[in-house]
Amino acid sequence: MPVPLDFPPSTRCSSTVALDNSSVWRASELSTQNQSTLNTGYARLNQVLPGGGWPLGAMVEVLQPHAGQHEWGLLMPALAALATLSALAVPPTQARQRPPQQLIALTGAPYLPFGPALGACQLHMPRLLSVHAEPGNAPALLWATREALLCADVAVVLAWLPDARSAHLRRLQIAAHTHNKLLFVFRPLRAQHESSPAPLRLRLEAASAEPAGQGANLQVHVLKRRGPPLESPVLLDTLPGRLSALLAASRERVRSRRISEVSVAPAAPAMADLSSLSPLFNRFKTTSKPDHALDRTASLHH
Amino acid sequence: MRWIALQACTTEPGPLRLDAVTTQRAVASLTLSFTPRVVLLDEAVLLDVTASLRLFGGLRRLLALLKQRLSLFFESNQVLAQVNIAYGATSLIALGKLRHPVDGRAGDLPMHTLSAVRPHLDVLERTGCRSWDDLLGLPRDGVARRFGAPLLAALDRARGSVPDSYDWLVLPEQFEEKLELDALVTHGPALMTGVQRLMVGLQAWLLGRQRGLCALKITWHLDKRRDVLPTGELLVRTDQPAQDLAHVTRLVAEHLSRQALAAPVHSLTLQSLVTEPLVDAAAATSSLLIEDRQSGGCSALELIERLSARLGDDHVQVWQGCADHRPEHMQRWVPAKGALKSIAAQAINAWAKGKNDQKKARPSALKPSPSAVDALYPRWLLPQPLALQTQGNRPVYQGPLQRLTGPQRLESCGWWMDGECAVGGASNPDAPRARPPAIRDYFIYRSAVAGLLWIYSERLAADDTHTDAPPQHVWFLHGFFA
Repeated sequence: MPVPLDFPPSTRCSSTVALDNSSVWRASELSTQNQSTLNTGYARLNQVLPGGGWPLGAMVEVLQPHAGQHEWGLLMPALAALATLSALAVPPTQARQRPPQQLIALTGAPYLPFGPALGACQLHMPRLLSVHAEPGNAPALLWATREALLCADVAVVLAWLPDARSAHLRRLQIAAHTHNKLLFVFRPLRAQHESSPAPLRLRLEAASAEPAGQGANLQVHVLKRRGPPLESPVLLDTLPGRLSALLAASRERVRSRRISEVSVAPAAPAMADLSSLSPLFNRFKTTSKPDHALDRTASLHH
Repeated sequence: MRWIALQACTTEPGPLRLDAVTTQRAVASLTLSFTPRVVLLDEAVLLDVTASLRLFGGLRRLLALLKQRLSLFFESNQVLAQVNIAYGATSLIALGKLRHPVDGRAGDLPMHTLSAVRPHLDVLERTGCRSWDDLLGLPRDGVARRFGAPLLAALDRARGSVPDSYDWLVLPEQFEEKLELDALVTHGPALMTGVQRLMVGLQAWLLGRQRGLCALKITWHLDKRRDVLPTGELLVRTDQPAQDLAHVTRLVAEHLSRQALAAPVHSLTLQSLVTEPLVDAAAATSSLLIEDRQSGGCSALELIERLSARLGDDHVQVWQGCADHRPEHMQRWVPAKGALKSIAAQAINAWAKGKNDQKKARPSALKPSPSAVDALYPRWLLPQPLALQTQGNRPVYQGPLQRLTGPQRLESCGWWMDGECAVGGASNPDAPRARPPAIRDYFIYRSAVAGLLWIYSERLAADDTHTDAPPQHVWFLHGFFA
């Protein structure tokens, strides 16, 4: 028996009613739930996140190969904006009480956050609270993370929880949801295939060494979001401006020196000097001696 | 004259069980914030509120306020209690109406509602006296002869013909209460039920004296038959004077959970060591504080205290900047508990500054100006520089590295730090500053695996002993650009 392709009008009507409800979204569109978000500071990232920013009151799970690689670069604009906001905006209900402190709590940070560099990115360092546990005491770390989420004066919690399991994360997600906190959980790549209660999951990867010198140094794969799956990763430039300028300048200097040295007849002392610049160049020197700079790239492919 | 009689009955066993005496004392302490003329009489608490009526806006509002304050107190302490209130022109009328709730005249109250009548209740029943009026109708001298002077004095007091005066309740300067436990307790965490019961009394005392708690001492008395010290004790301090004891109770629970008891415990003593008067009268009323707690969770200071209590002070750290050119000395991560005051002060300053700036509409003044050099530092620093393997003359970290920039040179230890070097070397022999004068060249390397690395090569300056030897290069990993 053929199935009628057209829905009866009553069904269609009820479906549109259901779609008016903001907690329901089409799988082909980004969720536009009236959920409050925080600008990530990266326009490209804002475009692919539901609500256009980091979700408040939800857990963001970030997977990366090594702890401590890309956290600050990814979060710094949002954290800096938050510090400025919280210093200015005193809600009228709290005006009579003690001032809001808006701490940033780090639990289980892999290394020491370096104050001068972070302070240069407009992060207010005295507001950082770093919590560690004895090595191997993962439950204590989970407890500390949850306690920080329950605290009224904590705005953001960054947690490095390599050993957390899905049930643990669910409790954190609930705590973040009830207290409307920004929670980032950093986990190793092996957690990618475990189930996770986080509404937003990201995987970070270093962008391949780009030849142009400027542009992205970080690839963000959105593994899970309230919306359609994202095929291609988002490319971000997360290095501070001065640092990337310095790197670009030095790269440019190396290249120009290499070209000039090669185009001029390479003398032995000059070659010795260049050998410290790059292992590739070393190999090139021993394998073949091209006469022209243009031959160099070709010889490298052997 | 206006008198109020109060009684709180713990109707059913709630999460926390209190005996009648504790409940009565707690109620009396709480009501001290309404009038100084409070007395405990039999099972009830009597208040002379004649002088307080105008301040609290009339009898009806005062009654509502009392009832609300008491039920809030019991609710916050997880005690199920029913509060009965009655009022009258004299203390004994109020008490009689509490015992026998009627709306009519005081004269119609039954005989048994007067405490002084109770020994003679049988005789009076048989002589036909049912109510206070019947008793007042009897001849005075006969009553005095037959039943004694106390009954007559009570009658006069009830009628208001003699002054209604008592020895008013005065709370002691320090709170101290001992509790016999229901059963011998062998585990530290199991002491918490007893502590919670004592805490109810302590909180009532704090509210009555309008003080905040800064330090308390819990002493547990061990079974004397064991060959151990007779008592053990625990000192708990809070940074801010607290009147809502939920936070203090949690701190005590953290400490007790790690407490090993040498012998079974049969009783507990709770003592307040340091208290401070709360200046803010509004903060002294518990209702405001409880509302705050319900809406906002705990404050940052409470969080730090709680984390430090469980994880240890060294594991909860805050940042302190230092003026030094050596990266590892530019900052210190210090235990947050010691630095609490300064954090709070800074936060208040920042907040005040923010408010001022808001007034002046000059928000840009808040932003710290980034310095040129600081942006070139890595954002993660290793606690101790990691010595790297070398391949040829190049460092290796999880595979080969590619040098991007450098060198940036700094003296890590020079003649002007000699004294410091000696001191540092004596106290901490493996600190890098204990080494002879050295020069560091910082480079940025790229690793295919670990990203951008901050690596320095340390060249020991020419010593007297090694003047002819070539300078040694040692490579260290010092940070990550994340």
